[in-house]
Amino acid sequence: MTASTRGTLLLDRGVGPLLVLPATLLVVVFLVGPFYYMMYTALTDLSFADASRNGNFVGLDNFRKLMRDDPLFWDSFLLTLRFVVLAVSIEFVLGFALAFLIFRFVARQRLLTTLLLIPMMIAPVAVGLIWRLLLQGDFGMVTYYMRKVGLLSQNAAVLSSPDLVFPAIVAIDVWQWTPFVTLVMLAGLMSLPRSPIEAAMMDGAGPVRVFLDVMLPLLKPIIALVLLLRGIDAFKEFDKVFIMTGGGPGTLTELVSIYAYRVNFRNWDLGYGAAVAFMVYLVVLILCSIFYKAIYWSANRPAPLGGHG
Amino acid sequence: MKTFAGRLIMGGIASVLLQVAQAGAWTLEEAAKPYSGATVRVVGEALPPLEALAKLAPQFEQATGIDVEVEMYEHSEAVNKVQLDLNSRRGRYDVIIQPHRELGKFATNGHLLDLAGFMNDAALRDPTFKPEEQLYEKPWKEISWYDGKMYGFPFTVLNLFMWYRTDLLSDPKEMEGFKAKYGYDLAPAQNWDQYRDIAEWFYRPDQGLYGTALQAKRHEALWYEWLNFLYSFGGDVLDVKSGSECGPVIVNSPQAVAALDYYKSLLAYSPPDSLNYFWDDVMALMQQGKVAELIMWNDATYAVAVDETASTVVGKVGFDITPQGEGGKVGQIEGWSYLVPTYSKNQQAAFLFMQWMMGYDRQLEQHLNGGATGRPDVYAAAEVQKLPYSNASMAAHEAGRPKATLPQSSEMTDILVRELSSSLTGEKSSKAALDTAATEISKLLGSCAPMSYPAL
Amino acid sequence: MDRPASRPWVAFAWAVLAVAVVVALTPYLWIVLASFKNRVDLFASIPKWTFTPTLANYPAVFIGKDYWPLAINSLVISTSSTALCIAIGAPAAYVFARMDFPGKEDLFFFFLTTRMAPPISIAVPLFLFFTALGLIDTIYAVVIAHTSFNLSLVVWMMRGFFADIPREIDEAAVMDGRSRLGAFLFIVVPLAAPGLAATAVLCFILSWNEFLYAFILVAFEGRPLTVGIPGLVTPHGTLWGQVAAVAIVATLPIVVFTFIVQRQLVRGLTFGAVKG
Repeated sequence: MTASTRGTLLLDRGVGPLLVLPATLLVVVFLVGPFYYMMYTALTDLSFADASRNGNFVGLDNFRKLMRDDPLFWDSFLLTLRFVVLAVSIEFVLGFALAFLIFRFVARQRLLTTLLLIPMMIAPVAVGLIWRLLLQGDFGMVTYYMRKVGLLSQNAAVLSSPDLVFPAIVAIDVWQWTPFVTLVMLAGLMSLPRSPIEAAMMDGAGPVRVFLDVMLPLLKPIIALVLLLRGIDAFKEFDKVFIMTGGGPGTLTELVSIYAYRVNFRNWDLGYGAAVAFMVYLVVLILCSIFYKAIYWSANRPAPLGGHG
Repeated sequence: MKTFAGRLIMGGIASVLLQVAQAGAWTLEEAAKPYSGATVRVVGEALPPLEALAKLAPQFEQATGIDVEVEMYEHSEAVNKVQLDLNSRRGRYDVIIQPHRELGKFATNGHLLDLAGFMNDAALRDPTFKPEEQLYEKPWKEISWYDGKMYGFPFTVLNLFMWYRTDLLSDPKEMEGFKAKYGYDLAPAQNWDQYRDIAEWFYRPDQGLYGTALQAKRHEALWYEWLNFLYSFGGDVLDVKSGSECGPVIVNSPQAVAALDYYKSLLAYSPPDSLNYFWDDVMALMQQGKVAELIMWNDATYAVAVDETASTVVGKVGFDITPQGEGGKVGQIEGWSYLVPTYSKNQQAAFLFMQWMMGYDRQLEQHLNGGATGRPDVYAAAEVQKLPYSNASMAAHEAGRPKATLPQSSEMTDILVRELSSSLTGEKSSKAALDTAATEISKLLGSCAPMSYPAL
Repeated sequence: MDRPASRPWVAFAWAVLAVAVVVALTPYLWIVLASFKNRVDLFASIPKWTFTPTLANYPAVFIGKDYWPLAINSLVISTSSTALCIAIGAPAAYVFARMDFPGKEDLFFFFLTTRMAPPISIAVPLFLFFTALGLIDTIYAVVIAHTSFNLSLVVWMMRGFFADIPREIDEAAVMDGRSRLGAFLFIVVPLAAPGLAATAVLCFILSWNEFLYAFILVAFEGRPLTVGIPGLVTPHGTLWGQVAAVAIVATLPIVVFTFIVQRQLVRGLTFGAVKG
């Protein structure tokens, strides 16, 4: 019992918080370190292509260029925002609805949930290729049936159509990630305490009232979590879209991650690329902080994910 | 016991003697002795010629005791993996097989070994290996040389030319109908007007046949393909003689605008999904017999004209150099080269392996397995001449025009592809798109690249 | 909500769920079929749902192209990083759920911020860093990278699950003579098992499917399936049958894995009963 005795000593003497140390250290060394390197790089002209630009300090030149002289970046940035808002809100509504239906009506959920989860388990690289094949204009299965039912004209194709290509990448993201929302929301629903719900029902509240007044407030932390995680990941979306469209046609699907990829991995303009990446990070950080604080205040408790105990 | 210096002198004398008296006595086994046990790590694009190399390598290993490890990645993965390796200077790779647009970036950053030293080293150089006589000189100098220095040898010498369906073009009913409509005989296109007429004539999407198939996805494929039109219409990206030169930007010249307008006009006879198609899709269409004519790669010919497991049109495809334009009948020089990183720890062994791979027998073997050799004598071989695309490929090599291998060339490509793609969606006119491209390229290259045709 | 649902509602629910399943599965099913098609059937203009299956694609890619070690690599990388992630992340999450210390909420938010930077920007520095450490080209590099990336997920998800377990339960356990650590390991962790399993599954999937870091940090011999897939898209024509075969093999273990933990995922999520 020495282990548990030592455990007692450590944890009960207030050293418990030390348990966060390994996690913190790992993250600091392997993510924050490179991140600072990137921030420093953003202040240099480092390029792997141009031999004369070997990391000389240029101050804020890269950021000046980004702010004043790079409409492509801002276009891709706004496009990404649209992508995130559209995809995540559709995913949330659909995913929550499915979770609720499963929670309410399905007793043996195992097989059903597993089947629903399949899209999110496929590697994004493979998802991109699969949808390229499905939407291919001549052999694509989905293309064929869309034409058959009149959703698509004979001489059009989804990924070549300036009007359809953006909705298509949103739809494919929805296809892939709605199951994630379902999984987490279902877990949230299952973990809801029964007593407040039962009490409300005893008081004669209808199912809608019970849902809105009792369940939804209790689910708030989980909802916040889902939206945050999906929002961040959608902002970074890269593989699927890059494989399907390469950002095209034109710049119609050039998300900011694709733009950053081009600057960093095509042009090897690492100084400027770092500035682009930093800007993306900053905006995501600010949006998340606002969102996080909003949830924190409205939940009106010290821990945003604090339980019900 | 001889002293070290003594041995050195003896060795020197011996090698001089060998050089003078017994030039023919050079053997790979002898040359490789000091490097036996070394491992040469090769990296390149996952394609049949590299697979063929991997199959040949054991012969080299047996003869020399030098191990060969081959790593195969997808096109852009192969480039990125190498770029990172070079910049970390760790020297994982001994032979890097890279597309020629990367050359300037690698050479100017000091990543590549100048091979002149090894070529003059009698111990390493096989006296029968005479690249200046045995290789297509112009493509070799473009894809493996930079600024007058030799960095490597061609792994594949590539170009694009016209593919057409012989069965369709020689069908009497088609010929009759075509003549009635256009007033001249149906035959493989000699100029771009004919090319478009043929595309229009055979465009029957309801029967699953397209006149042509463009590779118009936002992808390097679009750049490669459009350059054929650009050159043929008498345009170019920069006004220079070789890929390593910087010069005035002329990509928005009237000829270039005409080339893009023409290219755009072909979209009408191309599959509906052309804006999302690249080589992979047009290959599949061609193999399924759904396209009458197109402009396509020489190293992809094997899978459509020979390989019956992949193609339904074996024996029904003809090949010819691209049609005549104001700029003549031209092609473009493209290719992947064997290069040796400065950081490699097995440079001599790497050189021996490259030299061995450039030998006739290996080149023939590779070529017959879907490769694209840089040796004219391999093209002359009877087995190769039997392949229906050999003449077109040889003609395209002769007519090849260089394109930029400057350090900024991949960024130039990226700019052009983006603007071409924007123009094809109808977002921008040809002129506006090329003006933007020219402005950005000029800005990228700096003072050496003024704009010859100022943007409006 | 235990009152029995009315019939039309049940029918409606099942209809919606059926549609959802069809939409979710059809693309996957199509790829399963594609992996058994020859080139002619793959490129038929009218989709072929029935055809003479060929088994050639699987051996062609896994043996002919020597892709089977990639599956092993994927497994090793994902399993190690998931185990590491849970081992390091779960205790941290527990601390966040139960204890107070200065700067706690800031540190908690900090974990989330590590997910926000675009991977592309960190990739090059990380490559140079691992090169300096001598870990480049080894599986350790990518395991560490995946672990640090998924830690935020573990910390965030598990804090919620731990918080759902009433404090009284571990307090009661401590009263009964267990240490805090013992209470955590033997009382809290089993109660949180469903959440833990769900989190682990997510970590596994994210690591298994990750492309960029795996591509940059691992050597050719150690590359996982995701890195191998693009190699089948070539100017000589994409080998769709082989792409499909790899995609199937790449998803199969995860499907099975999820199916197994599904029991805990769904059945075990009954915190309410414990709460009494």
